Formats: sequence, C-alpha cells, structure tokens
Amino acid sequence: MSTVAATLPETQPRYHGLRDWLTTTDHKKIGLLYLGFAFINVWAGGLLAGLIRLDLYNPGWKIISPDFYNQLITMHATLMIFMAVMPAFAGMGNYLVPLMIGARDMAFPKLNAFSFWIMVPAALMMYASFFVPGGSARGGWWSYPPLSTFQFMGGHGEDLWILAILLLGISSVTGAINFLVTISDMRAPGMGWFRLPLFVWSWFVTATMLLVALPVLSGTLIMLLSDRLFGTGFFRPALGGDPLLYEHLFWFFGHPEVYIMILPGFGMLSHILPSLSGKKVFGYKGMVFALIAIGTLGYLVWAHHMFTSGITPAAQVFFSICSFAIAVPTGIKIYSWIASMWGGVIRFVTPLLYCVGMIAMFTFGGLTGIMLANVPFDILVHNTYFVVGHFHYVLVAGSVMALIGGIYFWYPKMTGRMYNEKLGKWSFWLLFIGINWVFFPMHILGIMGMPRRVAIYRPQFAFWNQFISLGFFLLLAGGLVFTWNMVISLRRGERASNDPWQVNDIQHAFEWTTSSPPPAYNYAEIPELEASEA
Amino acid sequence: MESQALTAHTEAEPHAAAHASVHMPGPSYWPILLATGFGLLAMGFFFWATGASDTLWLILGAVLTLVPAMGWATTIAAERRHMDADQTGQDLHKGFLLFLVSEGCIFGAFFAHNYYIRLTAPAWPPPGAPVLATTLPAIGTLVLVLSSFVVNLAHHAIKSRRLSAAKNWLLLTIAMGIGFLAIQAYDWGFLLQFDKFTLSKGVFGSGYYIMTGFHGMHVIVGLLMLSLVYWRLERGDYNDPKYSFSTDAATWYWHFVDIIWIFLFFTIYLL
Repeated sequence: MSTVAATLPETQPRYHGLRDWLTTTDHKKIGLLYLGFAFINVWAGGLLAGLIRLDLYNPGWKIISPDFYNQLITMHATLMIFMAVMPAFAGMGNYLVPLMIGARDMAFPKLNAFSFWIMVPAALMMYASFFVPGGSARGGWWSYPPLSTFQFMGGHGEDLWILAILLLGISSVTGAINFLVTISDMRAPGMGWFRLPLFVWSWFVTATMLLVALPVLSGTLIMLLSDRLFGTGFFRPALGGDPLLYEHLFWFFGHPEVYIMILPGFGMLSHILPSLSGKKVFGYKGMVFALIAIGTLGYLVWAHHMFTSGITPAAQVFFSICSFAIAVPTGIKIYSWIASMWGGVIRFVTPLLYCVGMIAMFTFGGLTGIMLANVPFDILVHNTYFVVGHFHYVLVAGSVMALIGGIYFWYPKMTGRMYNEKLGKWSFWLLFIGINWVFFPMHILGIMGMPRRVAIYRPQFAFWNQFISLGFFLLLAGGLVFTWNMVISLRRGERASNDPWQVNDIQHAFEWTTSSPPPAYNYAEIPELEASEA
Repeated sequence: MESQALTAHTEAEPHAAAHASVHMPGPSYWPILLATGFGLLAMGFFFWATGASDTLWLILGAVLTLVPAMGWATTIAAERRHMDADQTGQDLHKGFLLFLVSEGCIFGAFFAHNYYIRLTAPAWPPPGAPVLATTLPAIGTLVLVLSSFVVNLAHHAIKSRRLSAAKNWLLLTIAMGIGFLAIQAYDWGFLLQFDKFTLSKGVFGSGYYIMTGFHGMHVIVGLLMLSLVYWRLERGDYNDPKYSFSTDAATWYWHFVDIIWIFLFFTIYLL
C-alpha cells in the first residue's frame, strides 16, 4: 500500500512558496505552522524566564523594576500556556490525527487554517502590550480582580491582554470543533471507537474539554473587560460584585486547562513507549477510560486552587476528595506505560528517553499535586514556590518533555529525515538535568516559606535562588541543542523510510504506512482496519 | 483565486470519482483574511473603548470580518457541489451543533455569575435598582418565541420546496426579529433616560445591560444568517435538499437565540 501512495496525481492546483503557506488548507502544513508558531513563542517565553531568573539572582539589587517583573511573570505564563504548549499540541494533533485515522484531511480544512491564523493577530497584540503606556498585563495569568480592575491596574496593557486571550479562545474552540467532527466522522472503515489510536482518543477528550471550558473563560474575561472599560460591577464589591466569583469562574476553566495541556502528551506516550519497546500498548481500554475519567473529574476540582480564598469547609472537603480521585486514573496510565515496556525489546533512542524521563518527573509532579490537594498542607504552602515547583514539574517535565519526545518520534514522518541521535541524547540529558536542577529546589524554597510572584525576597532564600538561576543555562543549552538538531537534520538528516521505528511489525498503524513525508492527500487509497487487527 | 481551484477540481472529476471520498478543498485566502478581520475588530474595539480613536478601526474590522465570512460561506457552498454531499452535510451539522454548545457555555458564564450574586447578595434586586417593567419585554418575548415557530414554517417550506412561501415566512421571521430588537432598544432607552439607570450603577445594571446586549448581538448575527438564507433563496440555491445546510444552521441558531432569551427573560425580569 505504501508504494502506491506516490502515484496519485495532485487533484488540486497548489501555490508555491510563501503563498502556499498563507493559503494552505493541508492539515500537515497547518500542523507545521502551529509547531513553528509554538517554537517562536517558547523561545520568547523562555527568554522572559531568563530575565526573571536574572532578577531573582540577588535578593535585593535590581535592574528590573518590580512592576516590570510582574509583567514578566504574567507574559511568561501567558506565552507558555496559550501560545507555546497549546499550539504545539494543536500542531501535533493537526498533523497526526487525520493520518492516524486514515483520513485525507480534517473535516473543515479552511476552519483549520483559520484556527491557526487567528493566533497571529493575538500574538501580535500580546507582544504589543509591552509597549502600551503602563506596560503589559501584570496580574499573573489568572488576572484576579481586584488587582486586575482599573483602579489597581491602570494603563491598557491588561485590556489588550484580555482581547488577545479572547482571540486565542476563538482559535481553541474552532480547533476543538474541528477535531471532534474529524474524529467522529472521518475514521477509516473498520476503525471503531475502541480501535482508535490513543493519541486520537486523547485529542477527542482534550477537544471536548476545550469546547466547554474555553467559552467560560471568554465569558468571564468579557465581564472583566467591561468592568475595566465600561465601569460595570461584575467583580467589584463596591458595586455589589464579587471577586471570589471571578476565581470560581476562572478556575472552572483553569483546571480543565491543566488537563488540556497534558492529555495529548499522555496520548503520545501511549504510542512512543510501546512502539520503541516492540510491544502493543498495555491495557488499551483502561487507558481510554482513564482519559475519559481524567477529563470528567477535571471539571470537579477547580476550587482546590482556592482553599485559602474563603470557601466553606464542606467545599474544601469535596474538592479535596475529587482532586485525590484524579490520582487513580493517572496512576492507571503510569502503570500501563510501564507495563507497555515490561519485557519488551527496548530501544533507548531519544524519544524513548524523553518519555521515560517524563514518566519519572511527571509522577513526581503528580505526587506533589496530591500533597497540595491536602487542605492543611495546601494552606501552609499556598502561593509559595512549592506550587511553582509543582506545576513546572507537570508542565515542563510533563507536557514539554512529552511534546519534545513526540516531535523526535514523528520527526522522520514529518520531514522525511531522521534527526541526529547524538544531539538528541545531548538535548535530553541537558534538559533532564536542567529541569530537575531548576525546579526541584523550588519545593525547598516553598517549604522554607518563599512566596511566589515577588521580585524582592529575604536574604535567607538567596542560595537556592542563585542555584536555580544558574540552572537556567542548562535549560538554555538543552533548548539550543534541540533547536539546532531540528534545523540541521532537515538538510543533513539521513533519509527516513516509511516506518523507521518498525511500528507496523507489531500492529497496523496507518501513519507509518504512507511515505515520509506523506503526500498532500495522505493515502492514495483510504486504508482499512481488518477485523482481526487491533 | 477560488474559481481557479474549482475549475481544476472539475477537470479532475473523473479521477476524484474513482476515489469517491476525496475531501480536499484547494488553497484559500479566506481564513487568513477572516483572521486579520477579527484581529482588526479586536484592535478597533480596543482603540474605541480606550478612547484612542473613534469607531473608524472598529468599522474597518467589522467589514474585514463580514466580507471574508460571506465569501467563505459562498465558497463552501460552491465547493460542496464537488464533494460527497451527505458526508460534508453531516460534518457541517455536527460542527454547527458543537459551535452552539460553546456559545451556550459563554452564556453559561453570565448565568452562573447572575445566580451566584443573586444567591449571596443580602437583598435582590439590590436597593436602588429600578423595578423593571415586564409588560413590554413580555411582548418582546412572545414575538421572539413566535418567530421561532415562523422560522420553522420557513424551514419546512424550503424542505418541501415551496420556495415562495418560504420567502414570506422568512421575511416575517426577520421582521419579528427586528421587532424584538426595537422593543429591547425602547426598553434600554427608557431605563437610560427616565430611570437614569446605567450599567455602571451596580451589579444589577451590569448584568442587565451586558446580558441583554450580548444576546442582542446574537439576534443581529441570527438576522444576518436569515438574510443570507433569503438571498440564497432568491438565487435559487436550495433546489436540491441535500444542500440545505445553511437553512438548518440559520434555523437552529434562531432557536438557540430564542431559548437563551427565555432563560434571560426568566432570570432578569421575573426572578
């Protein structure tokens, strides 16, 4: 089947060069655009993190004003969450989902292009907000009122930030609709729901969460924006509003958002680990139900971000128990990944290293999450660096490691070239050591009592802060090696076969049957799953 | 640029027929144009709301949003003639329903706000808020609810190919929608002028104006969709019932706007 792929003539005239990229409706090109966009923003967000670490190197002496420091942390978080991790997963999803289900494109190819392109004005507005009088948004990525109301945060950077997030919300919702319809309608013959590849399942659950959670954020931000610009009182106590309600609404979006940023990574691991161990994934159905359980429970835990905000003890108990409960499906996934490698012929290539590293560090991040779900413990470390350490372990050591592992794993499919294995291993070890170097001591700082979001701190925290700041260079080096590997392998990489990981020796995986990179139409003939295959 | 892609597609028809489910539209400028339009709309709103400029950019953004949106809709309608009508129809219907779900979630945030404040406030409506007259809004509600039945008549008329009847029912729906908006505008004007009741007077007014205003914007979008259907009826686009997605979408959207209003009316005026 794979040899037939190249013989189908193009049925569409295509533009070339720049015009092609601006007008393309090909899900693979759009996926690459998403990835390129994420790449630019992850560097920008990373450099902002560098400035933050520069500021924190010394407890007192400052080149960066505390006000600009607040802008830095806000924009660092916003760029990383909304403009790096989310579009990177959307890019991988765009590229892989139609290939994995044996489709020629997404259900709505033009809408797909729109979902990408609307991120560009949003990004421009986000960056432009630094140059607005008064500077960019500086209330953190949650933008809690009353801090984010006009009385306490003058200037219009915050307004620009809100509008940019609203545009990004349109992108996410249209993208989610596209994924849901594509997955439900365009599966190849024979591919029932319980034969869907797990990455596709993970995107199905993610898209469902995006569809419901993102509009709630949009509605909430519309209210906040109107409080700021039109003098309404939705979240202003003086007018009868309630800032606590903002926290509820924000985290009703914000906690599902956490899973939106990790589930596609879970999906990738479920492909990479078994494939590189020469096995099929362990406990397929358990994995599917675990995804659905995480997606569902994710809506019932939002107030665990608000244990100290003034919610009733009964609510604390409820949200605490629900948060513990999420550890069960997550545990199922972790054990199933390990079982997927158990007894296999494991190839210790770069993607596998990233995934194994991800399991180890993500589990650690999950365990500190269980600690934080304890109300008494959370009250002690609330808004300290312990929390910062925790969520960087799940986001950087979890999502980003899975993402980079996935990019290495599917790089041959996307580019037709193999990446450089030696550089790949260097990037892994630099990032693995760097992540632990930078983020582990944050837990110590948190337990010592250092609050997050402060530009000036007490001298007893200086040692670990300097230690962390030095670790930034490890992350920088790891990022540079990874970037360099991606760039030079485009030209110098060995030509990749259709199935460089021999996935199809074990199971029928569509995306590895077509050429690398696949033709515009993916498959000359729509592939089918036989009843006997799984 | 679209026509170029389409002719080529027609030439490739015999080949596409061999692979019955080819589902690959050609390149298009509409997505990037529409995205630019949305960006300008957001910036125009920003300039206008912060007082940096008058409505110039806002209007420019609105135009740059509407033109590509219309062009896009027309392109899809034309392209579908070369594709599997049942499959694309099913996709579009599902996609539109999901879109309505997400719209409902935005309103959900407003409703959640309203009920939370209402249940935690010491008194509701808060002291100082005017007593909202219910007679005129009730008439407006009746007009909007009835228009939902009328649009159904139009929908059925299109399905059973009684096209001139469909046009009349559609015009009546549009007239009723405009009537509803007129009643709302009168209500707003009355409150603003005689009660001096503005959106910055307190959380009650904020909720009232933002929720009815946001809903009113949706009514306007619904009216635009119904007008587009009317225009396409005039062009004779609905001769084949397979290609009646836009009539379904406009009808569903109108029902959606109606259902949201019933909740709004109940929440704001009656409770």
